[in-house]
Amino acid sequence: MKREVAAKLEGMSADERSLLRPLVETSRGFYVVAGLLGAVTLWGLFAYYLQVRHGLGRTGLNRPEYWGIYIICFVFFIGISHAGTLISAILRVSKAEWRRSITRSAELITVLVIGFGAVQPIIDLGRPDRLFNVLFNAQLSSPLLWDVISIGLYFTASSIYLYIPAIPDFARIRDSGIKAPRLYTFLAAGYQDTPAQRARLHKAIGILSIAVIPIAISVHTVIGWIFAMTLRPMWHSTIFGPYFVIGAIHSGIAAILVAMVVLRRAYKLEDYFKPVHFDYLGRMLLVFSLLWFYFTFAEYLTVFYGAEPAEMRTFWAKVSGQYAIPFWSMVAGCFFIPFALMAPTSVNPIWEIEAQGRYVPSWIELSIMAATFSGFILLYMVATKFIPIVSIWEIEEGREESTEVAERVAGYLPDPYRKLLDFEAIGDE
Amino acid sequence: MTRWGMVIDLDRCTACGACELACKSENNIATVSPEQADMDRTMSWMKVQVEVEGEFPDTSLRFYPRPCMQCDNPPCIRVCPVEATYINDEGIVGQIYPRCIGCRYCANACPYTVKYFNWYGPEWPDSERQHLNPDVSVRPKGVIEKCTFCHHRLQKAREDARAEKRELREEDYQPACAEICPTGAIVFGDLDNPTHRVAELKEDPRATRLLEDLGTEPKVYYLASRQ
Amino acid sequence: MSQTRREFVWTMGAASAAVALQGVTDGVFWAPEELPEMGWQPGIEKQITSTCMICPARCGIRGRVVDGRLVRITGNRLHPMSRGGLCPRGIAGVQTLYHPQRIAAPMMRTGPRGSGQWQEVPREEAIARVSARLGELRASGRPENLALLAGYCAGTMRDLWHQFMQAFGSPNFVADEYADGTDAIMHLMHGMRRRPGYDLERSDLVLSFGAPLFESWWSPLQAFVAFADPEHSDRRRPHFVQVDTRFSRTAARSHEWVAVRPGTHAVLALGIAYVLIRDELYDRQFVTENVAGFEDFIDEQGQLRAGYRSRVVSNYRTEEVSAITGVPVERIASLAQAFAQGRQPLAVCGEDVTRAPNGLLAGMAVHSLNVLMGSVNRPGTVLFGEEPPLEPLAETVLDSTARAGVQRTPIAGGLPLFGAGSPEVPFAERVAASGEDTVEALLLYYANPLASSVHPDVWRDALGKIPFVVSFSPFLDETTRHADIVLPDLLPYERWQDGPAPLSYPYPVWSVARPLVEPHEGGTHTAEALFAIAKNLGGSVAQSLPHQAFELVLKARARGLYAAKRGTLFGSEFEREHHRQMEQRGWWLQTHADFEAFWEGLVERGGWTDLYYDDADPAHLSAMPDGKVHLLPAALLDALQLDERRPYIDIAAPASTEEDGYPLQLIPYRLSTLASGTLSLERWLAERPTPFPEVYWHPWVEVNPVTAEELGLHHDGRAWMVSPHGRYEVRIQVFPGTAPGAVTAPYGLRHPDGSLANPLQLLDDSADPLTGLQSWFSTHVRLQLA
Ligand SMILES: Nc1nc2c(c(=O)[nH]1)N[C@H]1C(S)=C(S)[C@@H](COP(=O)(O)OP(=O)(O)OC[C@H]3O[C@@H](n4cnc5c(=O)[nH]c(N)nc54)[C@H](O)[C@@H]3O)O[C@H]1N2
Ligand SMILES: Nc1nc2c(c(=O)[nH]1)N[C@H]1C(S)=C(S)[C@@H](COP(=O)(O)OP(=O)(O)OC[C@H]3O[C@@H](n4cnc5c(=O)[nH]c(N)nc54)[C@H](O)[C@@H]3O)O[C@H]1N2
Ligand code: SF4
Ligand code: SF4
Ligand code: SF4
Ligand code: SF4
Ligand code: SF4
Ligand SMILES: [Mo]
Repeated sequence: MKREVAAKLEGMSADERSLLRPLVETSRGFYVVAGLLGAVTLWGLFAYYLQVRHGLGRTGLNRPEYWGIYIICFVFFIGISHAGTLISAILRVSKAEWRRSITRSAELITVLVIGFGAVQPIIDLGRPDRLFNVLFNAQLSSPLLWDVISIGLYFTASSIYLYIPAIPDFARIRDSGIKAPRLYTFLAAGYQDTPAQRARLHKAIGILSIAVIPIAISVHTVIGWIFAMTLRPMWHSTIFGPYFVIGAIHSGIAAILVAMVVLRRAYKLEDYFKPVHFDYLGRMLLVFSLLWFYFTFAEYLTVFYGAEPAEMRTFWAKVSGQYAIPFWSMVAGCFFIPFALMAPTSVNPIWEIEAQGRYVPSWIELSIMAATFSGFILLYMVATKFIPIVSIWEIEEGREESTEVAERVAGYLPDPYRKLLDFEAIGDE
Repeated sequence: MTRWGMVIDLDRCTACGACELACKSENNIATVSPEQADMDRTMSWMKVQVEVEGEFPDTSLRFYPRPCMQCDNPPCIRVCPVEATYINDEGIVGQIYPRCIGCRYCANACPYTVKYFNWYGPEWPDSERQHLNPDVSVRPKGVIEKCTFCHHRLQKAREDARAEKRELREEDYQPACAEICPTGAIVFGDLDNPTHRVAELKEDPRATRLLEDLGTEPKVYYLASRQ
Repeated sequence: MSQTRREFVWTMGAASAAVALQGVTDGVFWAPEELPEMGWQPGIEKQITSTCMICPARCGIRGRVVDGRLVRITGNRLHPMSRGGLCPRGIAGVQTLYHPQRIAAPMMRTGPRGSGQWQEVPREEAIARVSARLGELRASGRPENLALLAGYCAGTMRDLWHQFMQAFGSPNFVADEYADGTDAIMHLMHGMRRRPGYDLERSDLVLSFGAPLFESWWSPLQAFVAFADPEHSDRRRPHFVQVDTRFSRTAARSHEWVAVRPGTHAVLALGIAYVLIRDELYDRQFVTENVAGFEDFIDEQGQLRAGYRSRVVSNYRTEEVSAITGVPVERIASLAQAFAQGRQPLAVCGEDVTRAPNGLLAGMAVHSLNVLMGSVNRPGTVLFGEEPPLEPLAETVLDSTARAGVQRTPIAGGLPLFGAGSPEVPFAERVAASGEDTVEALLLYYANPLASSVHPDVWRDALGKIPFVVSFSPFLDETTRHADIVLPDLLPYERWQDGPAPLSYPYPVWSVARPLVEPHEGGTHTAEALFAIAKNLGGSVAQSLPHQAFELVLKARARGLYAAKRGTLFGSEFEREHHRQMEQRGWWLQTHADFEAFWEGLVERGGWTDLYYDDADPAHLSAMPDGKVHLLPAALLDALQLDERRPYIDIAAPASTEEDGYPLQLIPYRLSTLASGTLSLERWLAERPTPFPEVYWHPWVEVNPVTAEELGLHHDGRAWMVSPHGRYEVRIQVFPGTAPGAVTAPYGLRHPDGSLANPLQLLDDSADPLTGLQSWFSTHVRLQLA
């Protein structure tokens, strides 16, 4: 770190100092990890090159197991993208004060992860060179196109939703001059923190956080529908829309928790990610895992009682057959949500005479999956070097507003004095 | 309205497999290597499916020659993002190979698993390229293919009929599998034309369709008395 | 306006991006994909009628030829036997024609035998070398030292080869062609040395003893059409009952399957005969009038001999038969009743019945059911069809060298008494055991013994002893690789040839194959090579084969058909039926103005047939001096006095030859998709040789779930199949249709690398001493995990 920058940091408030430090100070460990992740990512790119060159034959897919790891990753990444935008929006709308230090890191996950999710179906294409046919020959009855639209919308909305609340922080960096002045001048878009601007900012955030909720829900509903709109055993289910949304939020919360643990360690943010945050998020996680379990149970119980042969073949493949291990690890971990949903299902054709599929991902697929993870983590790491990972102004605002909040909270409750007065009044009578 | 359809009489079928081969030859269907075959990547638009039941010596085998069911309400076409699979006015469900992006969504949507994907490009030894049927394009890698009711034969038959200034007759348009079947188990024609044999056969009390309750309205009927 | 322009710009932008992306990916990303160019310009298209020469069935085909390339083989609807249908093998013929392993030109060996070092030579030179070498043999008075090993080539090709060998002066024409022993049975019982024809289509009950009717029978197409004809005529379809040790596809498709223990088909037949006799269900009138040997009789020595009736009645009570065959008593009785109730009941004797140590006796037992029911020589039963009345070939001229040569004993030795087996094995054994000059030159036509013989090792030794080997094979098969000169034949789609229908089809059929495409430059029609060699040899050989074009030879032979004033060219169902009825009433209509028109029509329609069969002609029933069918032929009884076996009594399966460590009985069977199969397969067939089981590319065997469980074998797992005589690797298919304790193994398959996987090469040496036919069902093997 240059001396002058260090000096500038010294002159800042405690919040600014600890939250802006990562933008200007980079440890050795960061480079090592980034290098490793970069290598994995490059390896994955190479694997993809081979796949494009030779064909999807390089995967472990087959008939009837037409979809595999890529689509699993698609569902998974889009799922955890619910981390940020949706959760932060819900927290904002409900004015949960403890949100202040976690919204930024969560929103960042969303924006970055959507891209990684969205490329998965493209990686999965037999003819990536004809990708643009989706525009030229769009057939809107295809749930895949609903997906293109809802993901596109979600990505745009989430990006704006990340950007707008970050403007005051960008303005601060611009003003402090610790990093890339031109970039931050541009990003700050002339924000001077005048009361009028701030009011506008609040209004925009308010509108966005409401607008973004249905979009986010639509995204995962539509992903669920991709599967549900086919007649495949154990896909063709009305429950899939909400089931996927619940699963997504569930995995999203988990993703935030993981990110927080890492950030807290790496950037020494113990003061911002406090046990109470983990506690609250943990409670949410519990609620969603119960909901998830409820959906899963409802789904499997219905299948089991209906006992349609084709569905049962899938059912048993998951519960005790070929896919028992991923299935039960999913149930145990409630985390690898998509895998057990996907694989055994496309394994089993409805017509019982068709042979059942067997699918083992190839090294190409595993490499590309690894690269997706590493690429995402790498990008997230780099992003933390440009965006304060905890919203500085919101933290400050939180401090300023704490009395107001106390009043507001009190306003939710019956007035203790009034009760007393009433009592006195009665007594008077 | 013309609705092309097929009736397969399982009481006549001897599971000889001639229909499979005729289809492969007519439609330039490629083979895959032994390693690929071990991964379940073989292609057979028409496939004689076999079901074994019972124990020695009370065993039974049931055979179902299985082309594309050419559903009247095909779940495969709605899900295609680029309309590369479609149903035409006469009920034939076709594929547009140059447009297909290879997402395999249609393959997942088809309840009969009749769609085949070109995991690699087709391999034809040089000498064997000579026997490729010039009426049917060879599919490149990365696209989906399936039985088309030998649609190219219809186009040809139409042209011929027009050139001869006459109506299209039942025997003018017969797909390769129906044409070759040694026992006449496969009958093909217009389901809505009372003069065609299929129109009558589909009303046979033995007639069923596969997974009828899905509402896909297959245009391939099976006749089976021995259940 | 501006909006549309903006749209336009957008679209163009996106489109050019797409094109650019495609350009980049095409060059850099996509491995260059060479899609064959499909013809855009309307090609010149022809449909040409011909005949499938792949297996003995000789079905009618139509070739679709576009711009001189054969793109499709379909069936010829006018063909009386195949009626427009084909088996998968016939359809895959386009891949035989354009097989990548086809030999490009005549070749001469340059390195040591089998080293694969060849030099291409002009056709004339190859022919000259062969002629010179053969000429030496004749000049030095050793013509008998030329041998010919020929596979199935019934028809004019076989006649020409015969003529050539005769005129040359060699008795060593070794035919290795589809011997099944039924001709020996007919010879003994009817006095006619010819295989029986089966009028399946008109029968109402077909009781098949192991004959793979719907798979690899003489003519599967004949059986298919009988099962259900493609014309959907109103004819009543026969009821098919299949007696088989395994649940074959024929068994699965028949109306009933009767599972019997290996080697006990004939015992079941006699159990049925027992019920027919006991309940007096048999055709008494027919037996009394036309059959000898039914009742006890006094032989020439004045001894009382037990007749058929006493032999059966005292040995084949249903309880005993049931114990031997494993078929319940009631089932035996009901089979007998059904057989008796049939109006045209027909028992078909499978080749597999005769391929047993007592095959001849077993085959007679099966055929005796037809005799009991009078199911001989009437519609829907066993018929003895005639050969088509072809013009004979020119007389063979024998000079003194030739006359001396043909008098010598053939190397294979005299055939066994009722010889039906192929002399291929004894021939190889003697050559291998003898000195260098037993056989000085060997010609190979349609034969690949190194791959197909039960004793390839003996053949290898034999070939080592023969200084000059010529192969006419169009493919570099195992044996051809050991040849000195290869003069590759044309493929059937490029040449003229005639194909008489197999005798299982009871009506004479003469099909003609004609070229569908231009002949391959490097290929030579073997007949024409033979004519050239004969010309070079000069003398009586040249006089006997004074031909040039094979087409003209065929045309000359067709004159016999034209002159016969019977039969008709292939035609529609209506034409066929019309013709049959006319002939039945003694009419025959001249349909062609002259022979030229007749020949043209014949080639156009694919062939000639005569569907009228005169069942009133007693010559069709028996050629014995007494005109009767013999259930206990004297010749056989004489022969058996030494042998100590008794017809109809000693036919039960021999005590198991199970050896220590080989617990499973091997039951080889032939796949319908394979011709003798020593040819490296067509890709479509190699990939998926059969609809069932679902195996791709790899040789397999089938075992019962119980056996698999006991041996710890898994479905699709690998194992070695081992017998005391050899082993090869297989994939296990668990299949309930195979009896516990047995292994059913298809033959004709190869491993993906082209190496052999032939269960026949695991067989033991047992054979029927009466016919010389090898036994295919007495070997035991074990399966061990690979
Ligand atoms: N498509 C096609 N057809 C052909 C040929 C061809 O190349 N291609 N080749 C022809 C030739 S050369 C031949 S030799 C024939 C071969 O025809 P077959 O000799 O009839 O041979 P497989 O088809 O092997 O039939 C053998 C049957 O015998 C049964 N069997 C098993 N064990 C026993 C036993 O202990 N005793 C008896 N009696 N039977 C048993 C088996 O279940 C099996 O079904 O096919 C002819 N037909
Ligand atoms: N692996 C295996 N072995 C077998 C059998 C089997 O099915 N599989 N079957 C057994 C039986 S029943 C029999 S009868 C024998 C038969 O065995 P073979 O008499 O040896 O007959 P094939 O194997 O049919 O063919 C021999 C060769 O003929 C050549 N050939 C093919 N087409 C042509 C042509 O157009 N012209 C000429 N001149 N040659 C041609 C091919 O190179 C082929 O290798 O084999 C026995 N052994
Ligand atoms: S060709 Fe006909 S008989 Fe043969 S398998 Fe196909 S449908 Fe069955
Ligand atoms: S694989 Fe091709 S045809 Fe099928 S849905 Fe995708 S683009 Fe459409
Ligand atoms: S069978 Fe499958 S591919 Fe064919 S039309 Fe129906 S859904 Fe589509
Ligand atoms: S209709 Fe044509 S494309 Fe379809 S299975 Fe039959 S031959 Fe093949
Ligand atoms: S049965 Fe024989 S002759 Fe007939 S098509 Fe098949 S291989 Fe050719
Ligand atoms: Mo044979």
